[in-house]
Amino acid sequence: MGNLPLLNNYLSVGAILFTLGLIGFLSRRNLIVMFLCAELMLQGVSLTLVGFSTFHGSWGGQVFTIFSLALAGAEAAVALALIVVLFRRNETLDISLWQDLREADQPPVLDEFEADQLEPETVYPELTRSGVLPGQGGLPPHHNHRTIDEAIEEQRHEPVEVPHA
Amino acid sequence: MGEFELTLSSLIVVVLGGLGVYLLLPRGTNSSDRAARIVGSLLATISLVLIASNFGDVLPNKTNELTFYLLAAVSIISAVLMIASHNPVISALWFALVLLSNSGLYLLQGAEFLSAATIIIYAGAIIVTFLFVIMLAQPNGAAPYDLHSREPLLSCTAGVILAWTLLGTLHYACTEESKPLSQRHAGASMAALPSPALVAKSLEAQPESIIRADKGHVDNLGRTLFLEHYVAVEVVGMLLLVAVVGAVLIVNRDPAKLTAA
Repeated sequence: MGNLPLLNNYLSVGAILFTLGLIGFLSRRNLIVMFLCAELMLQGVSLTLVGFSTFHGSWGGQVFTIFSLALAGAEAAVALALIVVLFRRNETLDISLWQDLREADQPPVLDEFEADQLEPETVYPELTRSGVLPGQGGLPPHHNHRTIDEAIEEQRHEPVEVPHA
Repeated sequence: MGEFELTLSSLIVVVLGGLGVYLLLPRGTNSSDRAARIVGSLLATISLVLIASNFGDVLPNKTNELTFYLLAAVSIISAVLMIASHNPVISALWFALVLLSNSGLYLLQGAEFLSAATIIIYAGAIIVTFLFVIMLAQPNGAAPYDLHSREPLLSCTAGVILAWTLLGTLHYACTEESKPLSQRHAGASMAALPSPALVAKSLEAQPESIIRADKGHVDNLGRTLFLEHYVAVEVVGMLLLVAVVGAVLIVNRDPAKLTAA
């Protein structure tokens, strides 16, 4: 039997690490950070196991920690493979875009920010305006009393008539 | 101190820490966030100091005690900064610091092999995570999903409840256990702990060939691992193999084929 207050210290540190990992896992949205937080929880548990092992003077806790290291390796392999697959399909690491995987009768959990993220605005490349407007009969620019920008504004409001071929 | 006061004081300490972590979690980029971060780190530090004040001075050696406090503080502070940082690369760096200080804590407890193994194994894991972050990172600065937490208040509440139950129980059990037997609350002692006589008996019952006092730490650990737990070693080896095969299979699936099906 070992030192009880000493065991208490190590168990407290392990508990705090586990809790921090839990908070991070629940609140962060980046898949990689969530993976790191899961590893942090494993670290807290390992610290607890080693503390108990020292307290009882037995090797069981340390053997268990070695197993948890191996399990962490297996978990890392599968988790990183899943992250790669999810990134390929969505081009983002955001976990909240995968809420389609929820139960069929559950409402979606969407806050305002997430709703914006779901339909990204299409941004077209901005080109420099130059030359004569189409449909102006090839008149030189000074015959045209409208500026090019005004003409584009007008065209945008008028419905475009498409001639039938 | 009464039971109720003990519970209440630990709740207050844990709530302070939870509030600090809540303020530290990323919530947008605006500069008013800076004030929240400063207040949050202050609150978390106060809570950490209050928790540490519950630690008894327990180690026979003063240097060991100082080392413990230093390593524990580095470990917890790095963990907080890891879950609070806006950049996954920075998160991975803080996690590396957590691992380093944790292996120091293992060493302080006499678990030399685990201390070395943690550093060796997780160094590889951290480098792989780095590669992933660099491979999948957003080219133009921090991604929006890194700047906004999802339900930070709810997750911090969950964390506070968990930490309160864990730390409160630990503290309560420890205070009860240090009292003489006659003053203990009924059923409050660590009843699960075996009596010293029982432990000595079980140690005697172990086969002589497994634990040998004349051998070193790693020798004994290896004996325990491969003589007592050899079936588990085989199972874990099988599990690792299956996990690696599964990972390769998952990654090599053709996404085009999946959407067509």
